[in-house]
Parts: sequence; structure tokens; C-alpha cells
Amino acid sequence: MSKIRVVTDSTSDIPISLRGELGIKVVPLKVHFGKETYLDGVTITPSTFYEKLVSTEQLPTTSQPAPLDFTQMYESIREEEGEDVEIISIHIAGVLSGTYQTANIAASMVEDKVKVHVVDSKMASYVFGQLVVAVARAAREGKSIEECLDLARRMKERTQVLFVVDTLTYLQKGGRIGKASAFLGSLLNVKPILTLDENGTVSPFEKLRGKKKAINHIIEASKNYAGQGPVVMSVIHSASEEEAVALGEKIRQEFNVQELVVTELGPVIGTYTGPGLVGIVVYKL
Amino acid sequence: MTEEILTGNELCLMLNEGAKILEKNAALVDALNVFPVPDGDTGKNMNLTFQSGVDELKKNAAQGTDQVAATFSHGLLLGARGNSGVILSQIFRGLSRGLNGLQVANGRQLAEAFQQGVDMAYKAVMKPVEGTILTVAKEGAKGALMEARRGGSPEKVMETLVREAQRALANTPNQLPVLKEVGVVDSGGQGLVFIFEGFLSAIKQGFVPTQVAATQDSPIISEEPVANMKVVHSHVHETDIQHGYCTEFMVHLKDKYSFDENQFKEKISPFGDSLLVVTGDQFIKVHIHAEKPGEVLSFAQQYGMLDRMKIDNMRLQHNEVLRKQEESQENGVVQPKENYVLVAVASGKGVTDIFRSLGVNRVIEGGQTMNPSTEDIVRAIEKVPANHVIILPNNKNIVMAAQQAAQLVSVPVTIIPSKTIPQGISAMLAFNPAESSEENEEAMKEAISYVKSGSITYSVRDTTINQMPIHKGDYIGMAEGDLVSSAPDSLHTSLQLLEHMVDEDTELITVIYGEDVGEGEVETLIQEIGLKFPDCEIETHNGGQPVYHYLFSVE
Repeated sequence: MSKIRVVTDSTSDIPISLRGELGIKVVPLKVHFGKETYLDGVTITPSTFYEKLVSTEQLPTTSQPAPLDFTQMYESIREEEGEDVEIISIHIAGVLSGTYQTANIAASMVEDKVKVHVVDSKMASYVFGQLVVAVARAAREGKSIEECLDLARRMKERTQVLFVVDTLTYLQKGGRIGKASAFLGSLLNVKPILTLDENGTVSPFEKLRGKKKAINHIIEASKNYAGQGPVVMSVIHSASEEEAVALGEKIRQEFNVQELVVTELGPVIGTYTGPGLVGIVVYKL
Repeated sequence: MTEEILTGNELCLMLNEGAKILEKNAALVDALNVFPVPDGDTGKNMNLTFQSGVDELKKNAAQGTDQVAATFSHGLLLGARGNSGVILSQIFRGLSRGLNGLQVANGRQLAEAFQQGVDMAYKAVMKPVEGTILTVAKEGAKGALMEARRGGSPEKVMETLVREAQRALANTPNQLPVLKEVGVVDSGGQGLVFIFEGFLSAIKQGFVPTQVAATQDSPIISEEPVANMKVVHSHVHETDIQHGYCTEFMVHLKDKYSFDENQFKEKISPFGDSLLVVTGDQFIKVHIHAEKPGEVLSFAQQYGMLDRMKIDNMRLQHNEVLRKQEESQENGVVQPKENYVLVAVASGKGVTDIFRSLGVNRVIEGGQTMNPSTEDIVRAIEKVPANHVIILPNNKNIVMAAQQAAQLVSVPVTIIPSKTIPQGISAMLAFNPAESSEENEEAMKEAISYVKSGSITYSVRDTTINQMPIHKGDYIGMAEGDLVSSAPDSLHTSLQLLEHMVDEDTELITVIYGEDVGEGEVETLIQEIGLKFPDCEIETHNGGQPVYHYLFSVE
């Protein structure tokens, strides 16, 4: 039976400890402030990034990894693990980034050296980071490649994310506002609750006034989704650690949660949400 | 006649020239960027990607066309940035495959290599969309192949490739509706055309074949794409455009033998930017963005007769495009099920603005002391064509007039029985243009029950209500129409009222202050509310309403 290795990209926001523990390889996307280029999570940390983001006038831009960033990763895994290795490469939703497409190009470029299965998670951030972790664990437990890929496909159907952003400005300026554009333009302090639809497009869920109300509401809506059964959950935030940790505590008490990860949104997606995002991910086991 | 061929060195020159033209126009390409994601970096990304190929050529001494193409392609794959960069890297990866093993290439081999580039790019893109860089590359290569079948030289092949690519670019708005909406050609396609134009310019400068005479009718710079080139990106402000006039013209050269293109470029470039000069046999064609187009034309006239002059004001175009963009955003994305018109009754500029910002189309001036008549409401309904009208009376005394109005008009009307301004606001937040009128009615009515309304006004006479003696001029606080507090000053009246309204579930208190309230007074009140209810968020708005000193919503 072949060995399985898992590759993802930096938008998966998997905490470093988990990456190390499960041997997950991460290809970084890039963030550009003017002429300076940073590798997501490698040469720029979320905290430095959000500081820069609020102090910069011109918004940064982001770009997917180059094809050779992927081929180099795939080839180095092939060299380390030998010829019977197969790679599962799981990425941010194709509707949000060209990363998935480029991974496919790279996979075809190395097809005579190593077999790479590229998966469009149709999700973003730790919403799919969670999926990557689950697949890496399954691979470690000796599950077959088909079982791992099947898991990857099934998880999306049992996952919901709801998040609140401080302002829609970043989503709008970055061109990723999707169907949430209907929420623009209010004079009131409206906190839109957003979700990702079946393809990963940002979609409106509800609009409420005031952040506190909005957060309480996503807790309730997550409870409705979770039901009574066991769940794996995570809290995603951008430059709002205190809020996220408090929310994590609440979740531990109020949900039948088997595992909880609190993680910070990385720079690339952070470019499109800005600081102040809080989100809850529920995966029904 | 010996067969004309392209050498590695010449290919190298072409790539360099393509890079140069692209670099000069990168900002323009950025400005065209509306698809797939309007993030305005296509030009920058393509430029950096292409530059990475040029750098790779500088680092390595490549010889034949195959080596040059392979080295360049490697650089692109290494430095590909953004979607357009990745597609570009695939086009040249295919081209490099096509030239594999060829020290030099003839017209047919060159054309076939471009076709391989197109195939590679189409294969790489998961869902190829027509009307993009892909289409431009495809049509260019198709033309090149046809030219090659007629036995065309590399130069002829490039000429046809450029012409067909330009034609395809001009057609992109017909293929991709989002382009048509904002009135631009595809940005990635435009970037590729700039690259191809650089190729052609190099091939013409590099090894001019004697027997080819370009007729002056050959559209070397396409009319359409450049004419359509509009600066559209919302990051670009009208004032950011340094050179406001897109100026294009032809010059029939007085003296074609002494004309030196490089010298000409050098002299004309101080007039502006985005310069493009293409030299034909007896004429030149010029494209430049200048602040003073008149001076440019006077200068150029020294070289010969002017022809086909075209000057566009890019600042006005930009504004127009922005306006269109806004319109399409307003109408776009969420397709309304019905053509709703929302009517609200309110008074005070700030309150009116809040309702408008939430999507109310018409605000009828009115309220407690001035109830609009049935006729006023009918007129407001009939003023805007609609399939369905939703009315927010925002006062219990106006609900009836609204109901009567509903019977007098031919469009279906839903009345949301909002009795207060806060209820009206809450109902508006629940409105969703994408839902049916029944669903909206239910959601909006439900939203009314989520909010508690309070108001502060003053008594016009001495009286006693609910065993509370009230003096003329005293402030009184009402919660949902019931009097709950009264005091000689507004601060205490307000705090007492809020104490009555706020409970442990309260998350948000909104204060809308009226036209008679001073800034200092509001600040004091907000501070006191903050101290009294530390767990609540507080939001303040200048409502500018008459009669009501303050309106509160508690939720």
C-alpha cells in the first residue's frame, strides 16, 4: 500500500503545532504591500500583518503560489518518501482563489514522477483547515487513499461556518463580497452575518445591529446546526484573540464538542476581511 | 527567396520588447480589471510574471529558439502571479513545448507553437471562460496558423496574430456581459495584446524583411480596444489620472527615409505616458495619454500630415464608468424577485437618511404631529413604478391612512404596521429584496417584535397621567406609548425611561437625538448610559427629528 502525504496552502490557517504533529506540508500564498512581497505565515505573521493593514492606505494585494512552488513541494515529498508515495493536495475554494487551479497545473507537470490528488475544498481558512487535519489523521491511521479522498468529499456537507465582520469595506474593495453586496451602504452599525455557500462564495446569512448581538446569534445558529450530536468546532478570528478565546470557553460549555481549535485568520484571507472577524465552524461527526 | 526564419536571438528580442510594452501599460491593464475578481491587479501580476521570464533569460545564456523559450517559460512558472500570470505561464509553457528541438523556427513552426500554447492554457484552466485572455490567445493563434498555411514568414505570422488578437479583444465585451456593463475590454486579453504588439514591434525592428510593405490600412494598433480602454477601477480616483486625454492619430511621414522611430519616441514621450508607436511603411500610428493633446498633435505635425485623430477625455469616461459600475452593483448580484418599492413615513433629515441607507425608496415627511393624508401616500406610491409596494407608517395614527391608500392604487401593497421609528428600522433590516413579498411581510412583522421603542418629548400643559403629576414644560418618557417617566430635565427622564426598558437580555441601545438637542447634552447622556448599562453596546445618530427630543431603541 502506498504512503499518503497531505499538502495544503497557507490559507488553511492550521496552527503550527498541528501541522508539525501531523506532518502537513504548507505552500504559502503571497501578500504584497506595494513592492514588498511576503510569504503568508512564513515571512509575515498575522499580528504584524493586521498592524500593517490598518496603518496602510493602499490595501495590499495577494497572489496564489506559482506553479513551481507546488512542483517543488511535490517533488521534494517524492524524494523524501520514495516512489510509492501519493499526495493529497487540499486547497482553498476555487471560486475564491486560483490556488486550486495552479495546484492542478503543477500536479500535471509532475505526473510522471508522483501521483497528486488535488481537492477543491470549496471552503476557506480553518473551515477547510479542519478538513486537512482530519484527512492527515486518517492517512496516519493507515486509511487508504480512497477512504481519505472520500472523507474529504463528505466533510464539506457536514460543515457550516458563520462569521461576523467589523466592516464590509475590505470584502468589497478586494472584490470578494459575492452575494453579500446587498448588505452594503447602511448608516447603522449593521453587523452582517456571513457564510460560505456550497461553492465557497461569500453569502449573506442575516444582518443584525451590534457585534454582541451578532455573535450571540451565530452561537444560536450554530447550535441549531449542531443539534445534539458530537461535533468538532473551531473559532476563527482576525486580531480579536480575546473575543475568540472567550467564545471558545462558551462553546466548550454549551456544545457537545469533541475537539475545539481557536485559530487566527492568516494574512491572505485577512486582506479581504480586515481585522475584527469572528467566526464559528461546526463539523458534525 | 530563402525561407525566412526566426532565430533564438530574435525570439529573445521579441520577449524583451513584449515585456517593455506590457510594463509601460501595466497600470492601464490594472484599470480594466473587472473579471473574474475586480481587484485591479491584472496588469501588475502579468507584468511581474513576464518580468520573471525576462530575468531568467538574463541569468542564463540561452541559444536556439527552443532554449530561449524553455528558459523564459521556466521563469514564468517560477514567478507566475495571479490568475492571468498563471495562464500566461501556461501559454508560454506550451509555446516552449512547440519549439522543443528547434534551433530556429519558420512561420509554420512559430504558429504551431503558439497553438500549443493555447492548448496548454485551455487545459490548465478548470472552467475556461470565453471573452478572456484565453479567447484572445486562441483567435491570435488561429490567425497565425492560417497565415502560416499560406506560407507566411514569421513576421507575417506575427502580424496576423496581432491583428486577430486585437479583433478578439475588441469582441470580448460581447462575450462577457460584465465587461459590456462597465464598458471595457478584458484586462488579461489587453495585457496579452500588449505583449504581442511588443513582439511585432521587435520583429519589425529586428530583421526587417524587404519585400513586405504594410499597407496603411492594416490596423496595427486596433481601433476598438484602445478606444474602449477606460480607466475603471474604483481604487483609481479621477484625480489620480495624470494625463487625462487618450490621444490617437496617424502621421503620413513626409520623409520616411530619415524618420527615426526611437528619436521620435524620445521626443514625444515627455507629453504623457502609455505611449505606443507603431511604424508602418510610410506612416506611423501613435497612442499616448497626454494632458495637452493639442500640443502633441502640433508636435507630430512636423513629421507629416495627420490622419484619423481621436481624443477621449479619460476623466469623464472614468466617472461614467464608475457610475455604471455603481448602478450595476446596485442592481446586480442579488436578483430581486419583485420590483419592490419601499415607502416610509418619517421626519428629520437624519432619520430620513437612515431609512434611505437601509433601502427605502421614498420617505414621506410626517409623524406624530403631522400625519400625512391618504392622498400623500397614494402620490408617493404612484411616483415610482413598482410591482409591489411595502409601506412603513412608523406611527399608529398613520396605519389607517396607509390602509386606505392601499385600496386606491392598482399595485399590490403590503403594510407593515410599524408604530415607531425604531420598529420601522428593525423591519427594514429584515427586508430582503431577493425574497417574495409574503416572506418579507412575515420577516418584517416579526422583526418589529424584537425591538423596544422609547421616546422623550415634553408636556405642553399641567396634567396627571398614571397618577404621575406632570408640569407644563417637563420632559416625559414613553415606552411603547405608555408614560413611564417625567422630570424637569431630559437626562433624568431618559435614564429613568431606559431603566424601565433595559433588561438582562439587552445588547444594544440606540439613541437618535432630535433637532433641539445640543452636542454636549448627547455626550453627557451617552456617558451616563454607558455607566448605568456597562454590558450594552450604544449607538448614536443625529436624527434631526422635531417633537421627539430622543428616540431610543432597546434590543
